[in-house]
Amino acid sequence: MLREMAVAAISTSQLTKDYGAGRGLFDLGLHVSQQEVFGYLGPNGSGKTTTIRLLMGMIRPTNGSAHVFGLDCVRDAVEVKRKVGYLPGDIPQFGSLRGDEVVAYLGGMRGGVDRRHVRAIAERFDLDLNRRFREYSSGNKQKLGILLAFMHRPELLILDEPTSGLDPLNQQEFYELLRETRDGGATIFLSSHVLSEVEHVCDRVGILRAGRLVKVAELGELTRIRVHHVEVEFAPGEEVPTERLRLADGVEDLTVEGQRLRCTVHGNFEALLQAISGSRVIDLVSTEPSLEEFFLSFFGEPKPKALPS
Amino acid sequence: MIGVVFGLRLGRWGIVGFSLAALLLVFAQTAGFYQVAGTTPGARAAFGSAMATLAAQLVALFPPPLRPDTVGGYVEFRGFHPLAVLFAVWALVSATGFARGDEERGVVEAALATGTSRIALIASRAVGFALAVTVASAAAAAGFLIGVASGHETVAAQGVIQESVLLAAVGLACYALSLLVAQLAGPRLATAAAGALLLALFLDNSLSRAMSSLTAWRWLSPFRYYDLSQPLPPGGYFDSRAFLVLIGISVIATAAAAAAFTRRDLGASLIRLPSIPHRPSYDVTAAPWWGVAVVRGLYERRLGLLAWTAGMAVMALSFVALTRTIVQVLLSIPSLLPYLSIFVHQQLYPAVLGYTWFNVAQLMFAAFAITYVARWSAEDSDGRLEIFLSQPLSRAGIVLERMAVLAAGAVLIAAVSGAVLFYASHQQGIDLNAQRLTAASLMLVPFALVFAGAGSLLAAWNPRAAVGLLGAFAFASYLDTELGTIYKLPVWLLDLSAFKLFGTPLLNGVNGRNLALMLLLALAGIGSSILAIQRRDVGA
Repeated sequence: MLREMAVAAISTSQLTKDYGAGRGLFDLGLHVSQQEVFGYLGPNGSGKTTTIRLLMGMIRPTNGSAHVFGLDCVRDAVEVKRKVGYLPGDIPQFGSLRGDEVVAYLGGMRGGVDRRHVRAIAERFDLDLNRRFREYSSGNKQKLGILLAFMHRPELLILDEPTSGLDPLNQQEFYELLRETRDGGATIFLSSHVLSEVEHVCDRVGILRAGRLVKVAELGELTRIRVHHVEVEFAPGEEVPTERLRLADGVEDLTVEGQRLRCTVHGNFEALLQAISGSRVIDLVSTEPSLEEFFLSFFGEPKPKALPS
Repeated sequence: MIGVVFGLRLGRWGIVGFSLAALLLVFAQTAGFYQVAGTTPGARAAFGSAMATLAAQLVALFPPPLRPDTVGGYVEFRGFHPLAVLFAVWALVSATGFARGDEERGVVEAALATGTSRIALIASRAVGFALAVTVASAAAAAGFLIGVASGHETVAAQGVIQESVLLAAVGLACYALSLLVAQLAGPRLATAAAGALLLALFLDNSLSRAMSSLTAWRWLSPFRYYDLSQPLPPGGYFDSRAFLVLIGISVIATAAAAAAFTRRDLGASLIRLPSIPHRPSYDVTAAPWWGVAVVRGLYERRLGLLAWTAGMAVMALSFVALTRTIVQVLLSIPSLLPYLSIFVHQQLYPAVLGYTWFNVAQLMFAAFAITYVARWSAEDSDGRLEIFLSQPLSRAGIVLERMAVLAAGAVLIAAVSGAVLFYASHQQGIDLNAQRLTAASLMLVPFALVFAGAGSLLAAWNPRAAVGLLGAFAFASYLDTELGTIYKLPVWLLDLSAFKLFGTPLLNGVNGRNLALMLLLALAGIGSSILAIQRRDVGA
C-alpha cells in the first residue's frame, strides 16, 4: 500500500516528440502525484495535446519515457487505459448513434460501466442521452465527452481543454465534479489555455511554452504572478483617488480619463480595493489577459511562434 | 469562379484517380485488342464472333457491341461501357459527399457564410464536377488513342470526341440526379437513396434488354440515352438528341436540387417525416449487444448490412430471372448450337448463372470491403479511433475486431444471396448443386477478406489515401484477371488477384490451393496492418 502511494500518477522523463522545424514537445520532465489536480497551461500549439497523446499512448515519443502509475505508456498502453478516463480535445463524430448508445458502445469496450454513476452525471449536466449525437449542440457533445471520461470512475483523468463549449453554469458544475472526484481519490490532469480556469480547480500548474515546460507553480505562486486589466468607473462628481492608487501595491500602468480609470493589477486585488474604498464606484471590470500577454508580462518576451496543437 | 476552384480542390484526388483509372482501363483494353484479335480479316471475324457470344451473356449489364471485330467496337464494349458505370459511382459519391458530407463537416455553412448564395454554391459544384468528368473522359479518350497508336492503326477523331462527351454527359446526369435526391432525403439516407435510384435506373435500362415488360419504362433512365449512341466503331452512330436529353436531365435536376436547397434547413431534408414525441432519458441503454465484441459492430452497421443483404438478394433473383433469357440468346446463335446442345439442360444453365452471378458478386463483395475500409479511415480522421484506443483495447484487438465484423457481415450477405439464388433457380427449374453453391458463396468471404486485409494495411499506413489506393488495388486486381492472359503475365502475378483466385467454384468446385492463397493474402494483410498500426501515431 505504501509503495503504491509512492508511485506518481504521472511521471515523464526527457519526454520528446519532435515534429521537426522546432515543433513538438521537448525534454518534458513532469511529476504529478496521486490525488493531485494538475493544470497544464499553455497557448495554442504549445504542446499540451501532444503531451496528452503521449501519455495516452496515441503517439510514440521520439525520445524519453512516460509512465502512468508506474506503467509505461507505450508498452503497457492497455493497462494504462484501464486506469484512465480520457477527454480528447475534439469530441469524435458518432453520427446517428444516440447518446446512450455511445456510452454503451464505449462502456462495452471497457467491459461495463456503473449505470447509476452514468445517470447521475447525465442528470447533473442535464444531458439527454435519448438524442442522436448529430442532434447535439457543441456544448452537449462536450458534456457527453465528459461523461465518457468519468463513467467508469477512473483513477486518473486526462482532460484536454475540458470546458471548451460549456456555458458558465455547466463550467461551474464541471469544476464541482472535479473537486468531488479529487476528494474521491482520483488524480486529475487537465490542460487549458485559460489561466483563471486552472486557478479554480488546480493544486499545481505546469506552464508550457513552445514545447518546453517553463514553470511548475503552486496555486499560491500562480496567484502572486497573475495579472489583470482593471477598469473602474467612478460616480459623476466623485473624486478619483489617483494618488492612493499610485501607491497601492501591485497596481501599475495607471491612466485616468475623466471618471474612468484603467490600470494593471499584479497578484491579488486587496490593495486596489483598499485604495478605492470610500469612493462611489458605479462599474468595475476586471479582464484576464491572454496567455500571450501573460507570457509577455511574466517572461518579458514576445509570444513564441504558434505550433499546431 | 472561386467556388468552382474550391470544389475542384476538394475533389482533386477523385479527379486524378478516376482520370488515371479511365486512361489505364481504356488503354489496356485497346492495346489488349491487338494482342488477342489477330491481324487477318478472318481472325478478326472469328474474334468478333466470340465477343458477340460473350456479350450475349452480359446483355443484362451492357448493350450488345457493334462491330466487336474492330478496335472501336471492342473498346466501346469492354472499356467505355464499364467506365459509364464507374463514372456513375463517382458522380454518386461526389454529389452526396458535397450535399451531405461537406454539410456535416461545416464546409457548406462556411461557404454560405461568405455571402455565396445557395444556388451559386450548387451551380459551382455542378460546374466543378462537369469539368472533372470532362477531364476524366478526355483521359479515357487519350487512353484509346494511345492504344490505337500502339497497334499502328488510326481511328476517326469525331467518334472518339463523341464517345468522350457522351461519357461526360452520362456522368453529369448521374451527378445531378444524386444531388437532387440528396436534397430530398435526410443526411443518413442521402447516399443510400441516391445509390438506390441510380441502381434502379441502371437496371431499368439494362434489364429492359432481356425483359420486354421494362421497355416501356426505360426512357426514364439516363443510361438509355447513353446506349443510344455507339460512335466508336466503323459505321457507328451518335444520337445527338439522346445526348441533349442527358444534358437536359443534368440541367433540370441541378436546378431542382438548387431550388430544394434554397427551401430546406441546413442539416435537414426537404421532405421531413413527422417526428415522434421525444422522451428525454439520462439512462444508458440496457441492450446487451453493446458489450459483446463483433456483435456491437454488426449492430452499429445493421442498416447498411441489411441494405447490402437485401440488395444482393434482389440481384440474385434478377440474375436467376435473366438466365433463361441469356441462354435463349446463346441458343439463337447458329454457330454455337452444336456446341451448346451437348450441354443444354445439363451444365449450360448453371454455367451461365455461375459466370454472370459470381462475376458480379465478386465486384459487389470487393465494393463491400471498400465501404468498410472507408469507414475505418473515417474513424481515424474524425477521432473515433482515438477514443476507441482510449479504452483498454489493444490496437491489434481493434484491427481483429474490425476484420471479424466485416467477415461476419460478408457471411450473412453470402449466405442469404446464396440461399435466394438456390431457391429461385430451383423455382425456374434450374437445379444447382447445393454443396457447390454453398462452397462458392462462402468463397466470397475470403475473397472480401483479401480486400479488407489490403485495406486494413492501407488504413493503418495512410488513412486519408486508403480508399483511393484500395480502389486502385481492386481495379488492378480486376485488370490482372482481365488482361493477364492477354499480356501473358507470370502466374505468380496472376495469383495476387483475388478475382483470379476465386475461379469458377460453382462449376468446378473450390480450388483448395486458391482458397489457401486467398486466406494467406488476407492473413498477410491483417498481420502487416497490425504491425503498421502499432507503429503509427494516432490523432497526430
